[in-house]
Amino acid sequence: MGLELAEEQARNRFQSELEFVQCLANPNYLNFLAQRGFLREKPFVNYLKYLLYWKEPEYAKFLKYPHCLHMLELLQYEHFRKELVNAQCAKFIDEQQLLHWQHYSRKRTRLQQALAEQQQPQQQPPPHGNATAK
Amino acid sequence: AVCSMAVAEKSTKERLLCALDNLEVLARELIEMLALSRGQKLPQPGEDTQVLELLVQRDRDFQDLMEVAQQQGKVHQEMQLLEKEVEKRDSDIQQLQKQLKEAEHILATAVYQAKEKLKSIDKARKGSISSEEIIKYAHRISASNAVCAPLNWVPGDPRRPYPTDLEMRSGMLGHMANLPTNGVNGHLPGDALAAGRLPDVLTPQYPWQSADVSVGMLPPHHGNDFGLEPPGHNKENEDDVEAMSTDSSSSSSDSD
Repeated sequence: MGLELAEEQARNRFQSELEFVQCLANPNYLNFLAQRGFLREKPFVNYLKYLLYWKEPEYAKFLKYPHCLHMLELLQYEHFRKELVNAQCAKFIDEQQLLHWQHYSRKRTRLQQALAEQQQPQQQPPPHGNATAK
Repeated sequence: AVCSMAVAEKSTKERLLCALDNLEVLARELIEMLALSRGQKLPQPGEDTQVLELLVQRDRDFQDLMEVAQQQGKVHQEMQLLEKEVEKRDSDIQQLQKQLKEAEHILATAVYQAKEKLKSIDKARKGSISSEEIIKYAHRISASNAVCAPLNWVPGDPRRPYPTDLEMRSGMLGHMANLPTNGVNGHLPGDALAAGRLPDVLTPQYPWQSADVSVGMLPPHHGNDFGLEPPGHNKENEDDVEAMSTDSSSSSSDSD
């Protein structure tokens, strides 16, 4: 009986930590945490360090949002934690994150365009750069 | 006017020269005496014999010394030969030393590089993951647009590379905190989907709150390392989403 309970507790802990660590991928959430002072508390900072175990492959494979690992690494630095109080900082991070997120699809679109141009050289002059890439 | 042969410190050369000097002196004396004796009688009768005897003796000494000198010369020559031998052996030894040092250096480098290779083999082995798993994972994070934006994404699209507010609230953490019954989105705890507030696009096929955890997969033990007081742990559960009340009495999921 006790074993089942312990197992369930462990599973719950796993799931809650899995969710929490992925929440760190959200810069707005980080800003939220920073503004409420959580990032200044030593126990929280220790917890962030503990969460680094999600970098190991046997745990990382459960992550759907891998961006969170990068954020987690950055969060180990006090300077980063301090800066997150700034809403502008969080907004900047969000923007850059989105741009990065779109990087591969933009690249792919450009590649498709280039292939299309190659196949029909007699057609109209090539369309301008990244009009559809955003 | 006699050089004492008992003085051991004097070199052979000095002694030879000394003896020669003596001979010269004696010879001169003798010649003077002979020259004098032409004219007159000797002042002292036996003096010429004395001088002659001394002369003969000195000559004998001189001859002896010459032999000694010759012997010493031979010894000196032998010494020089031996010295040359020693020099040759010395240079041989130095050459061997150089080669030994070189060999040691080469071996040390080889051993070091081999060790490095072993280290990197070890590292590679540790990090080795089946290609199937990697492909599965790559598919998982790509198909859900978690790392690559959907091709038709435009500003205004709610999809993000991170869990959104809604997703966060629909997770276990969201349910653990006490939600006010008239929550912002109007959905009750545990029933987010049923409340129909989650658009289809947000119900993930591969839920980010993965529930298919094998029994063996447990998070590393942490005890109460984080802070001195339990409230530090509670905060991790209550700091979820803006909409939730902060007086959540979420039970600590720490199993010890």
